[in-house]
Amino acid sequence: MKDALQLLCRFTAHPDSRCWYVAWSPSGSLLASCGGDRTIRIWGKEGDSWACKAVLQDGHQRTVRKVSWSPCGNYLASASFDATACIWRRKEDEFEIVTTLEGHENEVKCVAWAPSGNLLATCSRDKSVWVWEVDEEDEYDCVSVVNTHTQDVKHVTWHPTRELLASASYDNTVHLYQEEDDDWVCKVTLEGHTSTVWSLSFDPSGQRLASCSDDRTVKIWRENQPEDVTGMESSGSDPAWKCVCTLSGFHSRTVYDVSWCRLTGALATACGDDSIRVFREDAASDHQQPTFFLSTHVPQAHRQDVNCVSWHPKEAGLLASCSDDGDIAIWNYQSEA
Amino acid sequence: MALNSKSEDMFDVILLADDRFHVEGYREGYEEGTRQGLTEGRNHGGTHGAKLSLEMSFYYGFALTWKCLLQNSTEVNTHRKKLKTLETLLALLQSFPYDDAQYENLQQDITKTRAKFRQVCSLLNVLTDFREFVSTAGGLSF
Repeated sequence: MKDALQLLCRFTAHPDSRCWYVAWSPSGSLLASCGGDRTIRIWGKEGDSWACKAVLQDGHQRTVRKVSWSPCGNYLASASFDATACIWRRKEDEFEIVTTLEGHENEVKCVAWAPSGNLLATCSRDKSVWVWEVDEEDEYDCVSVVNTHTQDVKHVTWHPTRELLASASYDNTVHLYQEEDDDWVCKVTLEGHTSTVWSLSFDPSGQRLASCSDDRTVKIWRENQPEDVTGMESSGSDPAWKCVCTLSGFHSRTVYDVSWCRLTGALATACGDDSIRVFREDAASDHQQPTFFLSTHVPQAHRQDVNCVSWHPKEAGLLASCSDDGDIAIWNYQSEA
Repeated sequence: MALNSKSEDMFDVILLADDRFHVEGYREGYEEGTRQGLTEGRNHGGTHGAKLSLEMSFYYGFALTWKCLLQNSTEVNTHRKKLKTLETLLALLQSFPYDDAQYENLQQDITKTRAKFRQVCSLLNVLTDFREFVSTAGGLSF
């Protein structure tokens, strides 16, 4: 059996509009999508097909760019071009707005919930990254505004286990932040991409970070702990991150999203050439200098740009993707390994 | 011989006039340019310094006023987080090098202060448009 990505289902999620992003709920029972029609839709599996369980509208005045589930699965955060982020509380199949986070000067590009559920990060075209703290009464307080990027910040994501935040920007860099004296500060800047960095994904252990870019490459960055004696330089107590692998020559257009499967370790990419690719790590390769090979490639996965790919959190090999054509596709990935 | 050398000098004066006037013109122009540049630079620095001072002073007045209001409020305990952030902003403003025109981390400190101010506004739930006092990030992107 050859490695393959098999289409299970395809449906129109946001008619006559772009579907920007999809996110699986932590249990994997629901899939949230958002789009240019200013709505968020919640999808659930019914038999072999996917049904729309809820439409969340009236929350945003403009495009909803990203959504993020809280780790408990009871809240959904949405980031919109109307300069706000909304927090929705789930009650059965209904969702209601708990609060609207204001403060960004313009388009909010991304929102991400920390694994603890107590912190939330947002980023915007206004070049800033905001960290919010959540208390028991659903009150959201801004704990820090960080302004270290020189351009539009496209994406934010949290480390799977530690309180470490990563952001990707139009200024071609990735920044890593940690809390220090009540403020969040940029500890590391990852330079290497030659154009906009669109998205980020940590590997299951959190030791490595994948970044994808308008320069048509995917880069793998590896953390080097200070106590590591393998020879890589690191200063003081801050661990150093270094690019250990660049996947170039595979993508013919901008790579918009990258997703690292928590269960299988497979790396999926969403590309502006309408295709989806899945990469696997060569098991025999050196950990310090891993090599990845293209496991499978679906050329016309969608009719237009693929904006997002997302691995199912519980079911190995299940992948959701969405596109400018407004569709969501559900895939099953199988490899001979 | 004497006549010869005199006439040579005369020719020299004529021949080298071009060069002499060039040097003189350059010197005069340089002096005038320096004078004008200094005035211009002074005005430029003055305008920008005043703008920056206005912005920082606005933050200072804003922070001080809110600190007083919250401290004297009956529910001062519920405002601890806000007060702490206000204190951080005030500390940033007080340590700001207003007299040192050549301070190398100026840009960095300005960015930090602006970010802290925005956090304070968010915590206080103040969303008024301060564009008159505060410079904002401009430019286009997609």
